[in-house]
Amino acid sequence: MSQTIQIKAFGMIAEKIGSSDLSLDNPGTLKELRAQLESQFPDLVGVKFSFALNKKMQLADSEIPAGAEVALLPPFSGG
Amino acid sequence: MEKERKPKNIFVQGPISPEKIAQSIANHSSKTDIGGHSIFLGQIRADEKPEGNVIAIDYTAYEDMALEKAFEIREDIFEKYPLTCMHIYHSLGEIKVGEICLFVFTSSKHRKAAMQACDELVERIKAELPVWGREILDTEGHVWKVNT
Repeated sequence: MSQTIQIKAFGMIAEKIGSSDLSLDNPGTLKELRAQLESQFPDLVGVKFSFALNKKMQLADSEIPAGAEVALLPPFSGG
Repeated sequence: MEKERKPKNIFVQGPISPEKIAQSIANHSSKTDIGGHSIFLGQIRADEKPEGNVIAIDYTAYEDMALEKAFEIREDIFEKYPLTCMHIYHSLGEIKVGEICLFVFTSSKHRKAAMQACDELVERIKAELPVWGREILDTEGHVWKVNT
């Protein structure tokens, strides 16, 4: 049974993906999500970005809970 | 009495006007226990890049997360320093060279708490808020801002 996750991309990552919102089947962990994104969007290979799950920063191998809002965050450059 | 603090919107569409800053200072004249203010103003610099000269920065943010984080930072700083007031404003959208994009304002009885809190706030805002600057160049291209 697959479940969908909502992905929000920001800054340089949104530019490379060509969109700031995506829906994907939940691959299970952030590590698998990164691999899936890199195969779908080869421009992301080697690009530095972090993940937030439901607006909290996460480790790169965290599990993705059902229905999570996953954000792809390039290095911050506010101020 | 301890005041209850709630998340506030820190984002301003467009540049922060000098008039807003002046008004914000004036608004504190009735708070007569304040003895010192510290203010940091971030201004868009005309950087020269190999790809062209910066003429503006277009800021975007993960607003919901940024507001939660800004609230957490506010609480930490209020806990750490004896402050009377703290205000944070960050621009979104296109801000031209020479315009103000960040306004951080702390007030306390004595200057040192205000100055140290202001400095720490600016560092944490730059490091921890999910905000991004797209530097617009005079060559019609752009580069993504990198915080140092």
